[in-house]
Amino acid sequence: MEKNENVFSVSDYVAITNQTLEYAYPNVFIEGEVASFKVNQGKYVFFDLKDAGASVGCFMTVWQLRMPLEDGMKVVISATPKLTPWGKFSLTIKTIQPKGEGTIKKTFELLKAKLETEGLFSPERKRQLPELPTYVGIISSTQAAGYADFVKIAERWGGVRFDVAHVQVQGAVAADQVIAAIKYFNTLETLPEVLVIIRGGGSADDLAVFNDEMLVREVAASRIPTLVGIGHEVDTTLAELAADVRAATPSNAAQILLPDKEELRRSVHYSLQSILPRIERSVGEQKTLVHRSLTTAYEAIERRHDEYVHELANDRRLLAELNPHKVLERGYAMVRGEVGVGESISIETRLNYIEAEVKNVREK
Amino acid sequence: MSEKNNTTIQEKVAQLHELVAWFDGDDFQLEEAFDRFKEAEKLAETIESDLDTMKNEITILKKRFDTE
Repeated sequence: MEKNENVFSVSDYVAITNQTLEYAYPNVFIEGEVASFKVNQGKYVFFDLKDAGASVGCFMTVWQLRMPLEDGMKVVISATPKLTPWGKFSLTIKTIQPKGEGTIKKTFELLKAKLETEGLFSPERKRQLPELPTYVGIISSTQAAGYADFVKIAERWGGVRFDVAHVQVQGAVAADQVIAAIKYFNTLETLPEVLVIIRGGGSADDLAVFNDEMLVREVAASRIPTLVGIGHEVDTTLAELAADVRAATPSNAAQILLPDKEELRRSVHYSLQSILPRIERSVGEQKTLVHRSLTTAYEAIERRHDEYVHELANDRRLLAELNPHKVLERGYAMVRGEVGVGESISIETRLNYIEAEVKNVREK
Repeated sequence: MSEKNNTTIQEKVAQLHELVAWFDGDDFQLEEAFDRFKEAEKLAETIESDLDTMKNEITILKKRFDTE
C-alpha cells in the first residue's frame, strides 16, 4: 500500500460516496417500470424501478406518493441516489409521475374511484359561481396558449380585476406550484370571488399534473368557488371533477365566467324595442275605443233624428187632417156671424164666400 | 371601482327590466307610457355607455409559487 493513499473507514466511504452522488446527481430523473411495490408500517414505500436491463431500489414516504401505484406501472421519478449504510444502492424519491397512456389511465381510474368514494366529486358539494364576478384569481402559466385564449375571451366583458398566479402547468413541480397558488389565494384577506385554474391542450403526460391527488384535494377544499378548464373538450382531469364548475377548455372557462357585452347590448336593445309594440297596441286600443264611442254617439244622434222626423211626419199628417180647407173640399161650408133671424152671416165653401141673411132658426 | 361599475350595470339592467315589465303589467297607462319609455331609453343609453368604458384589469402576481 502506498503511503499517500487515502484510507477510509466504511462509514466515511459511504458518506463521501453519498456526497459525490449528491454533487453529481442532485436531482436525477429516471423513467422505468414499478416492480415489487410495498408499503411498510403504513409510512414507507419501497419498490424497484426497472427496465429490460437493470433494476434499482427506490424509497419514499407515503405522503410523497400522490398517485396510486401498482406493479407494472410506468413512471418518471425525480430522485437523489444514495448508498445506504448497508451498502445498498437506492434512489430516494422526491416526485413520481405516471408515464404513458396506459399507466396514466390506470392511475386516473384508481384515484377517481378512491376520491369518488370519499364524495369529492359529488354534485351536492358544488357551489354556484357568482353571476358577475368583479375579482377573480387565475392560476395558469402566463406563457401558455390556454391562458391567452382565456384572456381574449374575457374581453367580452369588463370591469373585472384578475390577479394571475403564474405557475408551471406541466412537469414535476407543476402540481406543487398549483397547490401553493390555491393556498395563496385562499389565505388572502380579501378573497377572490372565483378561482380559475386553466391550462390548454397537451399530451396525457402533460395533463396528468391535474390528476395529482394532493392537487385534486386542494381544489376540492378551496374556500373560493373553483372553475377549472384543462386541455381540450375530450380531456377530463380529476381536478375538473373536483371543481365547483368544469369548463371544457380555457376559452369555455371565460365564457362560463363572464357574460358577453354584445349579448347584453342586444338584450337592452331588444328590451327597448319590445316596449314599442305595447305602446302601439295601447294607442290602437284607445283609437278603437274613441271610434266606438263616436260611432255610438253618431248612431244615437241618427236614431233621435229619425224619431223626430217620424214624429214630425205624424204631426204633419194629423195637422193636415185638421185643416179646415180639407173639410171644405169634402163639400162642407163654414158659417161665420150671429145666428139670429135677420142677422147677416158669411158662408165659406170650397169655391165661394157667400154673404147671407138668416131667415129662420129652429132648434134641432 | 370596477366593483361599483359592475354593480351599477347590474342594477341598471334590473331597473330596465322593471321598466319594461311595467309596460306589460296591469298598471300600464298610456298617459305615463311616453315618459317611462323615455326613461327606459335613457337607461339603455347609460348601460351602453358603461359597457363601452368597462375594461378588465389584469395583474400578474410577482409572488413565486416554487415550493423548494
